[in-house]
Amino acid sequence: MFTFIASNNPIHHILDKPISGVEHITLFGKPVFTTHMASLLLAAIVTFVVLKIAAKRIAIGHESEGTNRYLTNGRIPQIIEVVTLYLRDNVIQPVLGHETKKFLPFLLSIFYFILTCNILGMIPFADVQVVVGKVGFGQETDWAVFGGTATSNLAVTAGLAIVSFFVIQMHAFKSLGIGGWAHHLTGGAPLYLLPIMLPIEFMGMFIKPGALAIRLFANMVAGHTMLAVLTMFGMMAYEGTQNWLLTGSIEAISTIAAVCISFLELFVAFLQSFIFMFLTTVFIGQMSHHDEHEEHAEAATS
Amino acid sequence: MIPFIASESASPVDVQLLTLGTTIVVFVVFLLLAMKFVWPQILKGLDQRDEKLRGDLEAAEEARQQAKSALAEYEQELLSARTEAGEMIAKARNDAKAAAEELRENNTRELAELKKAAATDIESAKKAAISDLHAEASTLAVAIASKVLGRELSATDQQSLVDESLAELTRSSK
Repeated sequence: MFTFIASNNPIHHILDKPISGVEHITLFGKPVFTTHMASLLLAAIVTFVVLKIAAKRIAIGHESEGTNRYLTNGRIPQIIEVVTLYLRDNVIQPVLGHETKKFLPFLLSIFYFILTCNILGMIPFADVQVVVGKVGFGQETDWAVFGGTATSNLAVTAGLAIVSFFVIQMHAFKSLGIGGWAHHLTGGAPLYLLPIMLPIEFMGMFIKPGALAIRLFANMVAGHTMLAVLTMFGMMAYEGTQNWLLTGSIEAISTIAAVCISFLELFVAFLQSFIFMFLTTVFIGQMSHHDEHEEHAEAATS
Repeated sequence: MIPFIASESASPVDVQLLTLGTTIVVFVVFLLLAMKFVWPQILKGLDQRDEKLRGDLEAAEEARQQAKSALAEYEQELLSARTEAGEMIAKARNDAKAAAEELRENNTRELAELKKAAATDIESAKKAAISDLHAEASTLAVAIASKVLGRELSATDQQSLVDESLAELTRSSK
């Protein structure tokens, strides 16, 4: 946590920073390479490698292995298998029905990708690099090439939401056709309500993925800001009192609190990746031909 | 201090388009790679495992049904065998009883016949003995009378004498 090391502003903990050594490379005055970009890339590589290893373990082995070929070996592959099965059978299948297979790779990818970003954000990579840079190499400035929670960056969550938006809309056009898509914008309301319904439904198209982005971003920012505040209490106490005993007591309590909040953050990391994936599934389901009719029939009856 | 992207006034809600674009590119590349190299393998493995489990469960259910029907059939056969055995035992018991009864009746009848034959034989022997005794007694009486009277008895005298003797003998024997 940057704030723990060098900052007195907890918000700095979640802000994106340029990668040390290449700060001078800019585009329109903005750094081209940032730690969140590096974390994002790392998350993609880690997710791919872990899933690839899990895929090899989950796949059915050769017949010569007997019944053992149906077993998945390794804890992480087993967890991935169980989570994937749960998401497929209990979350995605009930919403998408026969279209499950088509969207399963996308939905599972976005779930595991966000989850990895969230979990990697829990590990203080940047802080370790700053300490190593200062203690080991005598760096005067804070030195870090990657770290931080990528999903606490609104640009990252917006990017993921844009991908979801395109997937949802492409499915809507393919499933409903242009006419069906336009009809869907009316929300099944009578003609005289169209002046109200059309703008609302049109804005809703963008608000839904926008809400996905803001929800994930806000949750990650809130959790990490709280952690930063908790870890800063000791420093604040020292600056205020210059009393090491009081500082130590406050730091001990705030550290225990930070550990507890970290467990909550771990839960939030899973929950938010699930919510992002689940709501994307629901939005895709709403744009399916079958659901569209049901939705309108429901609206007409009510 | 790290030279932050923004200064103290930096806001976490500032959206950097470069980061946004990088996110889309990184995720789309990851998605394409995952769709090519990861998910087909994982989903195929899960489907095959599902099929295997479903097949095994169906086979187990079928075996259970077969075992259940076999047990019912066995119990039915056992019940009919038990009934048949009971009937056979009852029949054998009745047959044995009837045979014993018949044997007893035959024995009783034969015994009665033997008894009756024996009584008849005894009566015949008795009559023969009495007849022999009569003949012998009459001969003896004639001989004695002849000697006492000193003369020959006529056939008429002899007969009347015998009859009297016999009558007297009969009276004295009673």
